[in-house]
Amino acid sequence: MDRGIGSGGAFAWFFQRISGVFLLVALLAHFWVLHYVSGGDVTFQIVAQRLATPIWKTIDLAFLVLAIIHGFNGFIMVIHDYIHNHNLRLVLVSFIWIAGIVLGLLGTITIISFQAPAGGGL
Amino acid sequence: MHYKWKTGMWAFVMHRVTGLALTVYLIMHINVVSSLHDPGSFNKTMAFLGQPLFRVLELGLLAAVIYHGLNGVRVFLIDFCNRTKNHAAIFWILAATGSVIFIVGAYPLLHHAGIF
Repeated sequence: MDRGIGSGGAFAWFFQRISGVFLLVALLAHFWVLHYVSGGDVTFQIVAQRLATPIWKTIDLAFLVLAIIHGFNGFIMVIHDYIHNHNLRLVLVSFIWIAGIVLGLLGTITIISFQAPAGGGL
Repeated sequence: MHYKWKTGMWAFVMHRVTGLALTVYLIMHINVVSSLHDPGSFNKTMAFLGQPLFRVLELGLLAAVIYHGLNGVRVFLIDFCNRTKNHAAIFWILAATGSVIFIVGAYPLLHHAGIF
């Protein structure tokens, strides 16, 4: 049986379950912090207070990376189940990898480069 | 192809559909948040996304997240806790739990947006 290129097989399967547990906890915290603690408004001032601190940068980075890998790994698993043409599969899986890496870089740059504006009255 | 469209099959297909939808949302979400480098543009974007139309769409997001998260718990129980023979019962228990969580989440979402 040709499972084709880029199939994570058992690891992809196992990774979805382990990262899923983390994401469930992280997402609950994400909703709680963004939509309940601060009263429901998501403004720059409220987000900046958290995102300027190293601890939140670390949490958000872990959340970002695992969410992207979980989501795009899922996408690749679906492609492997339904796309049987080898070349088309290669194109789609490559595209998913590139999109995932670009999105990961965009998110990482957003988080790491974030600085609270000087004297911004935070 | 002859699939048996029973609880487990529906649960599996809906898990995939919501998973793909959530990944598409994640792409948009990271793009929106990347405007944080410019406070004015971030606040403008958030005000735009605060319109009732997007609040209603967020109900779909809420439902998809709740479904995918709770069914993920079910998948974990089946795969790692030997609960295959209870899978259908677990589905309906989690469906009831999820419905309550949806109402608890949807009410403040719509109320805050001034919809009701």
